[in-house]
Amino acid sequence: MASEISAVEISHLSKDFRTHLRKPALRAVDDVSLRIMPGEVYGLIGPNGSGKSTTMKALLGLVAPTSGKCSIFGKDSMQVDSRNDVGFLPENPYFYKHLTGQETLRFYGKLCGLGGRELDARIAELLKLVDLEGARDRRVGGYSKGMLQRIGLAQALIQEPRLVILDEPTAGVDPVGSRQIRDLIMTLRDRGITVFLCSHLLEQVQEVCDHVGIIFQGRMIKEGRLEDLIAIEDQTEIVIQNGDEQLVARISELVSGTPGASLVRTGKPRTTLERLFLQSIR
Amino acid sequence: MNHTPSSSTAPARGNHFGRILVIAGHAFTQLVRMKVFYFMAVFALIAIASNFLSLPQHAGPESMGAQVLNQIKSWSLGAMTLFSVVLSIVATALLLPKDIEDRTLYTILAKPVPRFDYLAGKLLGVILLVLVSLLMMDALMVGALQLRTSMVMSEQVGMVKSLGWGDDAIESLKQEIRANGSNWSLQGAVLAVFLRAAVMAALAILISTFSTSTLFTTIVSFLMYFIGYFQADARDVYLHGGEAGQGAVARIGSLLVSLVIPDFQLFNVIDAAIEGQAVPLVAMGKLCFVGIYYTLFYLFVSWFVFADKEF
Repeated sequence: MASEISAVEISHLSKDFRTHLRKPALRAVDDVSLRIMPGEVYGLIGPNGSGKSTTMKALLGLVAPTSGKCSIFGKDSMQVDSRNDVGFLPENPYFYKHLTGQETLRFYGKLCGLGGRELDARIAELLKLVDLEGARDRRVGGYSKGMLQRIGLAQALIQEPRLVILDEPTAGVDPVGSRQIRDLIMTLRDRGITVFLCSHLLEQVQEVCDHVGIIFQGRMIKEGRLEDLIAIEDQTEIVIQNGDEQLVARISELVSGTPGASLVRTGKPRTTLERLFLQSIR
Repeated sequence: MNHTPSSSTAPARGNHFGRILVIAGHAFTQLVRMKVFYFMAVFALIAIASNFLSLPQHAGPESMGAQVLNQIKSWSLGAMTLFSVVLSIVATALLLPKDIEDRTLYTILAKPVPRFDYLAGKLLGVILLVLVSLLMMDALMVGALQLRTSMVMSEQVGMVKSLGWGDDAIESLKQEIRANGSNWSLQGAVLAVFLRAAVMAALAILISTFSTSTLFTTIVSFLMYFIGYFQADARDVYLHGGEAGQGAVARIGSLLVSLVIPDFQLFNVIDAAIEGQAVPLVAMGKLCFVGIYYTLFYLFVSWFVFADKEF
């Protein structure tokens, strides 16, 4: 693992934006460092304007770092060939409205040097993956928000990149669309594709990511494995199937008889509102 | 910021030319689907209407045929100039800001697409559109001219025969009518219209790399178009108008202006073609050189600006 090249390496990245000639520059990203290993799903979380998108843009070479360095699979982000291995879905993307879903994927595929039967097969595979086979010949201008995000994800994957960067992938999408996108992210993870996403929807990040970074006012304030960061170290959770009140009472008794231990809470676990909603509409 | 392709051995696929063609083909399709070819109907109306317009003239009845043909050419080439310049400026001014506003530019530049390929592709797409438009308008104009030339020929020859003209005079009249019909000089004029539109498209793409709106790009591009017509005269007046223009600095400054802003008066060969005069090959060669030089010059300066642009 130590000798493996990181999928993403951001080292002491700072980015200043000059908003007015006389005013001092605005620091959007301040000395941010992070490392994402191949196969990880990394979530960068933070409030609006905290520097998440600027960090991603610096990684894609869309903005130049004021200081620091970004690399993708060991290649400097400012070099065009670093993007051979990257797929990117920007926040609230609009694609060319005059193209159909299939034409959109063909356009991006050709930009990546794909063509012929290989591209046809790839388009068919991706349309199936993002569940847009029925809308392949419809113009993108008529797509819903969720469909746009999914065609966006498909274009990001067109050249089979090893890294996918997603900027607020579920923002503004209804619960069904949001669920589909999160399922797709988990499919990508299962296929070994590295995912770097940013969002301010914390529950969704928690569901799909194995590593997270918390960015606030341009600075990385916490970073690490999600399990390590959110685990309450001095508590243990037991979930029992078909346990009656007597069993709970016996467990409570056992706990109270153990020096230093105390029962914090018993009760029925709750489903999420999202799960309830999805079950109700199916 | 270095956006030039790296020399490392990445598994890059495709090549510059292929990518430029993909972007050009897409820009062309985008503009076609925006229904820009609707203006062809207007052009067809102009080409037909120019047959029936009768402007005051001082020549004798034997020159009436040539006058009608000149009128068709004048109106058609005028409309071609108008449509091609408007199309090249407005279409180019629209493409870049729209891609930035819709964030489609992010998805393109996040692919292994060098910024030069993107710009060159967009420019080529607009130039292709102008070329196809001009070819269609040219075909309409030539069709109208061929039809009218044969009509004029029979009318005029019939008239002068009734006036008792000799064979030599009639042959001379026929030659004059043919010279005013469709010929290679006229195609040279169409080429000049195309080259001027290509230069304007490249200039508009340069302006749109640092402009923030389509409106600004359009206005400045039209302004530069008019400056292009007056810059040669202004330089002449300055250089020959007094002591200020005699110095080396003034001359170098004047040379720099001419290197950056094209002298559109060179494209006045169009007027000669309308008058039925032959356009010399040397003049056409010079025009081609000037057109290609300014198009490439503006494209490379655009790249220089665009390479460092942040989104």
